[in-house]
Amino acid sequence: MQEKVEAQPILSMNSVEVLYDNVMLAIKGVSIQVPKGEMIALLGSNGAGKSTTLKAISGLLKAERGRVSRGEIKFEGTDITEMLAQTRVEMGICHVIEGRRVFEHLTPDENLTAAAPMGMSRSELNVEKEKIYNYFPRLAERRNSLSGYLSGGEQQMLAIGRALVTQPKLLMLDEPSLGLAPFLVAEIFGILQKINQEDGMSVLLVEQNALAALEIVSQGYLIENGRVVMHGTAEALKSNSDIQEFYLGGGEGTDFHNVKHYSRRKRWLS
Amino acid sequence: MDWIFLSELAINGALTGLLYSLFAIGLVLIYKASSVPNLAQGGLTMVGAYVVLALSHDAGLPLWLAIPLAAVIMFGLGFGIERVALRRLAGRPVVMILMLTLGLDIFLRGTTLAIWGGTSRSMELGVSYEPLFMGDIFISRIHLVGAGVAIGLFVAFMLFFRSRTGIKLRAIADDYMASWSVGISVERGVGLSWALASVVAVAAGVIWGEIQGVDQALSLLLLKGLTVAVLGGLDSILGAVVAGIILGIVENVGSDFLDPLVGGGSRELIVAAVLILTVMIRPHGLFGRHDIERV
Ligand SMILES: Nc1ncnc2c1ncn2[C@@H]1O[C@H](COP(=O)(O)OP(=O)(O)OP(=O)(O)O)[C@@H](O)[C@H]1O
Ligand SMILES: [Mg+2]
Repeated sequence: MQEKVEAQPILSMNSVEVLYDNVMLAIKGVSIQVPKGEMIALLGSNGAGKSTTLKAISGLLKAERGRVSRGEIKFEGTDITEMLAQTRVEMGICHVIEGRRVFEHLTPDENLTAAAPMGMSRSELNVEKEKIYNYFPRLAERRNSLSGYLSGGEQQMLAIGRALVTQPKLLMLDEPSLGLAPFLVAEIFGILQKINQEDGMSVLLVEQNALAALEIVSQGYLIENGRVVMHGTAEALKSNSDIQEFYLGGGEGTDFHNVKHYSRRKRWLS
Repeated sequence: MDWIFLSELAINGALTGLLYSLFAIGLVLIYKASSVPNLAQGGLTMVGAYVVLALSHDAGLPLWLAIPLAAVIMFGLGFGIERVALRRLAGRPVVMILMLTLGLDIFLRGTTLAIWGGTSRSMELGVSYEPLFMGDIFISRIHLVGAGVAIGLFVAFMLFFRSRTGIKLRAIADDYMASWSVGISVERGVGLSWALASVVAVAAGVIWGEIQGVDQALSLLLLKGLTVAVLGGLDSILGAVVAGIILGIVENVGSDFLDPLVGGGSRELIVAAVLILTVMIRPHGLFGRHDIERV
């Protein structure tokens, strides 16, 4: 942690707790930093609290009767914990939500228009659209068909493209690889990496597909049961035996597999 | 078969149908932006008519001023309804919002009854009741005016839904959460759709108030308006216009045949049959969007 103090992170989340319906504690003191211009992964199994963490950052918790009950979230030094989702998008945070939720009854072109900030002129919007169609040529081909009929991969590309129209400084993606063929995952991740390098856009990537995610990010956090249980560089995480075993599909396959699993889990949680 | 009489029935039916469309456009506007059928549209139409009367007959303003002013007031009322009542329900099951709009309709009816009483008042638009003859066919002038207003609004809203704001409203109807995620203000969008529907309610209230007088019965237009909106496809402005014309013709021509057989009242039966059959046979109506099922 010490070596990074000089550069202010674009996003820092300190000991954040989230309550749903005022009773269900979904994350229990999560602290995460996204350094400016870097790609960070947030890994963890089902129900760990990954999506909740992203929603706390984007302000979408309110729509699900959730709230940040402790801790603070800062974006470029400003406390955003209580801000409206809309204000955060204007500030440069965009959240590609779980499940490729494109506007199905709109065309891809209209999906992009819908996300345009009110102040963006028509010509600026057209430039932005062309840029996105360049990243995702498949979308350009189908720009005027109904988005509900696009393939899963195309819909994910559209969801990302739609987020890019808001011109985010921090793009957060919730399991973009879910249900996609490996070559599509590679294509989409490649484009994210390209945008990150060309425009300096910071990325916070939630993934269960740790193998693919750790290939493109610089650091990763592992979250379990609402807590960060591990944080390190992508290299360190890739070589960590626990991560290898549970998230990279590795492991020795010994007779003691289950026993080890249990004891390691316990260690993370304590 | 008397062809002149039949075409007179059909043409006047189509004109009356366009007046149903005028009402139904308000329903479609709200549905298009929030996927909620607004059961208070009848109440809003009635209030629209009362506000025009209050400004013209009670406050003495000329109609050309009273009507736009009423539109502005109703625009504000539409926004207010979202702010005060609907915002709390965003994201809740549609049934809840449906019940809320029903409650709102009853509330509006009660309010007008308390303020203006239940006696029917006339709008006095000043449109001549001299018969207008197209060849041998008699046409009502007020119906012609109303049909023109309906078509004007149709064109205006077709253009509106291609604009950036219009596209954002359609996006909201598709997915609230995704809309929030890209910074669309769902609350303001829903408010705007109610505001626009309330302006449409003024237009419908003035025309229908002129035709049948201004009283609480105006709110019952909801039944025919809803039938037209459902037949057209609830989220289609074009559908509302086409379905209005169809319902108007079927109702006018059909009742002329059926009334002697059943001894009156067949108009209601025809409207009911159209509504029920549409829901049963073609739930998304003539032009409504389908629920997309991905393979
Ligand atoms: N709207 C909600 N209301 C109540 N509890 C919720 C809500 N959303 C999530 N939770 C709970 O919060 C915890 C964390 O959920 P979250 O969706 O953040 O997990 P996740 O890591 O994204 O999981 P997945 O990989 O399955 O998407 C879970 O126990 C879940 O049941
Ligand atoms: Mg999740």
